[in-house]
Amino acid sequence: MNVSRIRALRGPNLWSQRTAIEAVVSCNSAECSLDKIPGFMARLNERLPGTALPQPVERHEAMAMAHVLEFVALNLQTRAGCPVSFSHTVSTAETGTYRVIVEYSEEAVGRLAFELAQTLYLAAIDDTPFDLVAALQRLRELDEDVRLGPSTGAIVHAAVARGIPYRRLTEGSMVQFGWGSQQRRIQASETDRTSAVAESIAQDKELTKMLLHAAGIPVPAGRPAASAADAWTAACEIGGPVVVKPQDGNQGKGVAVNLASREQVEAAYAVAAEISDEVLVERYISGHDYRMLVIGNKLVAAARREPPQVLGDGVHSVRQLVDQVNRDPRRGKDHVTALTRIDFDEIALAHLATQNLTAESIPAKGVRVILRNNANLSTGGTATDVTDEVHTELVARVVAAAQMIGLDICGVDVICDNVRNPLEQQNGGIVEVNAAPGLRMHLQPSSGKGRAVGEAVIANMFTADDDGRIPVVAVTGTNGKTTTVRLIANILSCQNLRVGMTNTDGVYVAGQRIDTGDCSGPKSAKNVLLHPDVDAAVFETARGGMLREGLGFDRCQVAVVTNIGMGDHLGLAHVHTAEDLALVKRVVVQNVTPDTGVAVLNAADPLVANMANGCPGSVTFFAHNRHHPVIIKHRAQGKRVIYLDGDSIVAAEAGLEHRISLSGIPITQNGSIGFQIENAMAAIGAGWALALDWAVIRAGLASFVSDVQTAPGRFNLFSHRGATLIADYGHNADAIRALVCAIDNMPANRRSVVISGAGDRRDEDIRQQTEILGDAFDEVVLYQDKCQRGRADGEVLGLLRQGLENAKRTREVKEIRGEFVAIDAAFASLKAGELCLILVDQVEAALRHISRRVVAG
Amino acid sequence: MPDCTTVDHIDKKDIKFLDIRHLNGPNIWTYYPVLEALVDIGELEDFPSNTIPGFYQRLSSSLPSLIEHRCSYEERGGFLRRVEEGTWPCHILEHVTLELQNLAGMRGGFGRARETSVRGVYKVIVSAWHAEITRSALFAARELVLAAMRGHQPYDVEGTLERLRGMVDSLWLGPSTACIVDAAATRNIPAIRLLARGNLVQLGHGTRSRHIWTAETDRTPAIAESISRDKDLTKSLLRSCGVPVPEGRIVTSSEDAWEAAEDIGLPVVIKPCDGNHGRGVFIELTRREEVESAYHAALKEGSGVLVERYIPGTEHRLLIVGGQLVAANRGDSVSVTGDGTSTIAELIKQQINSDPRRGMTEDFPLNMIRLDKAARMEIAHQGFSGDSVPPAGLEVLIQRNGNHAFDVTDEVHPSIAAAASLAARIVGLDIAGIDLVTADISRPLSEQGGAIVEVNAGPSLLMHIKPAVGTPRPVGKAIVDHLFPDGDDGRIPIVGISGSYGKTTVAHLVARLLTLSGKYTGLACSDGLYLDSRQIDKGDCATWDAANRILINRSVEAAVFENGSDAILGEGLVYDCCQVGIITNVEPIRHYGRYDIATPEQVYTILRTQIDVVTPTAAAVDDVIDMVLPTGAAVLNARVAMLVEMSKLCNGEVIYFSLDPEQPAVTAHRAQEAQGKRAVIVRNGEIMLATGADEVPLIKLADVPLTDGGRAIAQVENVLAAVAAAWALGIAPDLIRSGIATTELSQEKCSSPRIEPETQGNYS
Repeated sequence: MNVSRIRALRGPNLWSQRTAIEAVVSCNSAECSLDKIPGFMARLNERLPGTALPQPVERHEAMAMAHVLEFVALNLQTRAGCPVSFSHTVSTAETGTYRVIVEYSEEAVGRLAFELAQTLYLAAIDDTPFDLVAALQRLRELDEDVRLGPSTGAIVHAAVARGIPYRRLTEGSMVQFGWGSQQRRIQASETDRTSAVAESIAQDKELTKMLLHAAGIPVPAGRPAASAADAWTAACEIGGPVVVKPQDGNQGKGVAVNLASREQVEAAYAVAAEISDEVLVERYISGHDYRMLVIGNKLVAAARREPPQVLGDGVHSVRQLVDQVNRDPRRGKDHVTALTRIDFDEIALAHLATQNLTAESIPAKGVRVILRNNANLSTGGTATDVTDEVHTELVARVVAAAQMIGLDICGVDVICDNVRNPLEQQNGGIVEVNAAPGLRMHLQPSSGKGRAVGEAVIANMFTADDDGRIPVVAVTGTNGKTTTVRLIANILSCQNLRVGMTNTDGVYVAGQRIDTGDCSGPKSAKNVLLHPDVDAAVFETARGGMLREGLGFDRCQVAVVTNIGMGDHLGLAHVHTAEDLALVKRVVVQNVTPDTGVAVLNAADPLVANMANGCPGSVTFFAHNRHHPVIIKHRAQGKRVIYLDGDSIVAAEAGLEHRISLSGIPITQNGSIGFQIENAMAAIGAGWALALDWAVIRAGLASFVSDVQTAPGRFNLFSHRGATLIADYGHNADAIRALVCAIDNMPANRRSVVISGAGDRRDEDIRQQTEILGDAFDEVVLYQDKCQRGRADGEVLGLLRQGLENAKRTREVKEIRGEFVAIDAAFASLKAGELCLILVDQVEAALRHISRRVVAG
Repeated sequence: MPDCTTVDHIDKKDIKFLDIRHLNGPNIWTYYPVLEALVDIGELEDFPSNTIPGFYQRLSSSLPSLIEHRCSYEERGGFLRRVEEGTWPCHILEHVTLELQNLAGMRGGFGRARETSVRGVYKVIVSAWHAEITRSALFAARELVLAAMRGHQPYDVEGTLERLRGMVDSLWLGPSTACIVDAAATRNIPAIRLLARGNLVQLGHGTRSRHIWTAETDRTPAIAESISRDKDLTKSLLRSCGVPVPEGRIVTSSEDAWEAAEDIGLPVVIKPCDGNHGRGVFIELTRREEVESAYHAALKEGSGVLVERYIPGTEHRLLIVGGQLVAANRGDSVSVTGDGTSTIAELIKQQINSDPRRGMTEDFPLNMIRLDKAARMEIAHQGFSGDSVPPAGLEVLIQRNGNHAFDVTDEVHPSIAAAASLAARIVGLDIAGIDLVTADISRPLSEQGGAIVEVNAGPSLLMHIKPAVGTPRPVGKAIVDHLFPDGDDGRIPIVGISGSYGKTTVAHLVARLLTLSGKYTGLACSDGLYLDSRQIDKGDCATWDAANRILINRSVEAAVFENGSDAILGEGLVYDCCQVGIITNVEPIRHYGRYDIATPEQVYTILRTQIDVVTPTAAAVDDVIDMVLPTGAAVLNARVAMLVEMSKLCNGEVIYFSLDPEQPAVTAHRAQEAQGKRAVIVRNGEIMLATGADEVPLIKLADVPLTDGGRAIAQVENVLAAVAAAWALGIAPDLIRSGIATTELSQEKCSSPRIEPETQGNYS
């Protein structure tokens, strides 16, 4: 068994839109047909009972280890309670090597399931035991540990249902909703509008009471006590039973209620003083304990909370009854489940003692035994939903309490006999206001209706028509991506948007480069979507990242595919043909926003045009040729097409036409550079898809210049001693063909070209580059750069030379080591009226070098 | 005459406090809170200061700074000259109290000593921003004065001041908060302290108010605070957004530490993940042995060890408020340059400590540099000891950071300010202190490899208010401007009502009209506390406490307060200024017999308090930096001569109301100025809104149920007062009309006496 390259696809990917583990599994011949191993299937079934393994006959192929791993890894997760269902195994070009894809809901759980699947497989092979219960326990525990808690989870689910994107910022409960300048954050049930000062106020119970009192909200009267004796004095001032509690406690720790005697008050003071320096003595308001959840200016949920209790049956002891209750599967250890187990601790025992009971007492049938005085869920209490019963006057007080403290989300603790009457009528009161309230009791109350509190939180953060998204354009293809990305970004910035842009040169926000290097992967896209100053984003989306990790976003408004052509970098990572490459690049098209999203596709490239089939939104086709069948058909259907008509680009849709003159698009050099016309059409398609004003699109095209600063390595033109120099990063047959095409329109009495080949291409791809150049240039300067990407010294140069063997035009070939030396050589032989194309490799350094030489004159 | 040369006799004399009241707002003495003490000096009435041998000398040597008090002669030393020439104990008590407060660090300098109708009993009034502190200062002043009289032992002034300063520290606002509150005052934004101790302050009133707690505001998100506390999360968010941070990672072993160091690039810093105060932090490590031994040392100080890129340079603190850089300070980084002959210790003396700004006491802006442990470690790291003689021209670092002593606000490069602002925005803080290490704050970080090392919520403002060297920055103003943009003063309309009777009725009427106009209105009057017509408290709520409840209620959009003379005399007003001040009428006799009030002149003094606070108050005109426009109005009963006289005190508009349309005061008032002044009158059984010569009918008295068809004369006056107030508040006449046409107050709310003949008197 050989499992290699386990990776997590964290965004939409080649296989599905779901997150998944992908592994490359190599099987030897025995492992390729497991059904031939006697007894293996039975042994596998023994270790994973109760599940019908897919039969080989159904699969139309032999059952390989890869299939078993796929099945088991998914099955283990399902059994552990993870909401997953997608899995897939595909064979690769190599016999016995498969790619196994298994969905996960939590990456760590998915990885562990994959590991356990291997262990189980080996156990089935070797006929050794496999402890399924323990394995599932591990998965469950890990899942509980890493997944979002119920409060945060409810909010995130509500966001997802609204189409609002989310991203966890920590392993804890901090989550970002939305993107860029539209982003919002939560941490459990706190939002980014939850004021720190308001939280501090809520923490100070005396201050809270003072403020609520100011607003005419009934609160229990009382004061802090400086000592046990003073606590008793305060109790006497108040008259009647009192509550003693620590000033800065939480979750009911150290709170004692309904104290009437001096002994009780003093003892309670001692307990509370352990927890906080300041201890409060307040009037004991009797009645039920209610928790009211206020979100914004609305009461969203109300629950009556009962302290942990058991009901006697005349047979079992209190301890046994507690154990029975704790066996309820809804009760967990922490906050991850609907209820929490009753803590049978010293406090519970002490509380039993006040009722003259011990753990071993056997309460009579029907007798209710309360195990502690407070009704918090975290110590085993229960909750009953009463949302629909709350009197409007009581609602008004509770909402006023939240507003007085200044919390956008809070849990207001109310004590009163019943919520059907106003507080004022029943001597009830608000005793506490809690920031970051738990939502569990409202989501899944022990009895009564669960409330849509997650939805309420989201509704308070995002208006109904707001999904927190910013316009996102993803651009992919073989050639022209970077220029198209820059052009679209320029158009968007003409709309006064602060544009975030990623491409192979770096990450840019509002025109400033914030990262360098190849940033065409999901990590850079995610960084842009995290940036608070980004109003719109344009991402160059290379296949490497898509294969490695999936997309960096769940969907985009616009997907642009410039071309696939003959492809590039073929032979890497299971992508062997242009068709394979098209499948990968199609992922962006498959993930445009359903219905409203737009794919902008090159109609002239059949592989790109075919992607239209997988697009859940609409399609805009572009091509030079207005008579291209794809264009004609699409146009006939009244759909959007972009084509060339004379010296204008035309955008047409159902009888409407918008014309943009090529003279208004400087990068096309008045229409002489064909591939720039295509890039412009793609960008127009994107701007159109975003419903930008045509004046904005025109302005964006008109103000875009392809120079070293704005588009380094993209057909950068220089003038040097009467000669023309062009620097470009083109490095595949299609790009070079397009360059030759563009240069054919530029007069020159002699042409030279400087080229190296990157080693990570197939031999034929390297040869092909010079085959094309050999028919168009008089002189070719071949150089070998530092990075040979796995090739032997001179190997690439040899391939380039082979390509020139049948050259129609090339008369002179030079071989040089080092990019700068090659550039210097080209400069040395350049004369007025000549043209030189330099295919740069280390883009920035080479461009700096060229610029320096040009400036030097 | 008693024998005053016998010390024994003086020993038996005493100064007794009969009563002490805190007037926590504008009062009959001043606009500001005061303590009013009723003081019985008994027989000392017969011993003015000049008759007690040695008193002057003892007093002036106990508190030499009394020389600054200019009292009596309006010149420096004026007060002490009075003491020398002879003055009474209460006058001295007043000045000593104020001086003690002053020296303890409390602001405020108002003081008065006044005789009462009882011989030997005085009222001493002193500024009291915090009642408890002033009370302590007053008691201490009594001790000090008595000690100076008796001359047995010198009074322990230093001990007292230390105690008072301790009280100021624990009870009064911290310097950061105080600077925000002071800045609010200069913009005429009111402040209410919500905690007896602690820095929670409400700026503004009711729904327009904002909260600050030190340098946090009610818009500082709790989540942003959580992020700023999580250094690792902060760094990763900043890095994602392209803000330079020192890259680094948590390491698990000494080998791992070296591996990380090589990955990151040398030199590196090694520190505990959650350490503080620089313990276990090792800087600028380049060799493997250094890195590994630092790892082990750091491991002891925290729960994990972090290896980070070393950022050369000095630590800076940048204060961002609302996205803007407001202030920047540089740490006190100190180095010496070798001359080839002097030791490092000598160089420190020659090159550093010779700086006249450096000294051993707090009076010097910069500390003396000593070769303490930290400095010895620093130079040891460079291969030196204090006795080493560094070669000429070699720079030796002595102290890496130290206090953020130097203001460098004007030097910050715009790109650095932008990065700091972005960092605050990424974390989500409206007010943030950004710690940034770089060599030169005036050049872009990209040129020199500087980085943001920390983002702090609730940053201290002290270093910017009082930089050791450089210009203090108006950070309090920046925060107030951020909280209250566009000149907003955070105020809601307040209507205050005084007078001898009818106040409660008028208060109810005005509150009703305000409610009708759509404002959530709070009303505190003698029959209860109301929020938008809902009674939330019964009993007498024409009190400071009840009114304060209205002003701190964040839903309240307008407030109406009844102020009886008892409230003014016993508590002071709760508000520093109001939109409308109404005085219904005056019947001096009703005020006699309480608080030692016995004359119409005294009644005038009480009631004028209400008119003095009509916007703009004299205090606002004095203190507020921007010009304050007269937007308030006094609503006065033209029938009462005392009120016509009082109208001169009002800085805002005066609107008279009058049953008699031809009342001379009204006629004269309406004729004033070109555009004509306003009055509300009754003509031919109809309420008229008069502006200059114009009269616009509002409603017939017959249609106002409250007035019993115009027969209840006192009620007609009340209605006129309320109409005038509503008119002053800009409530539309239609709304006023329907409001008073539909109001029927219950009997107990509108019991008013028969109107008495015009009260006479001269109150100028």
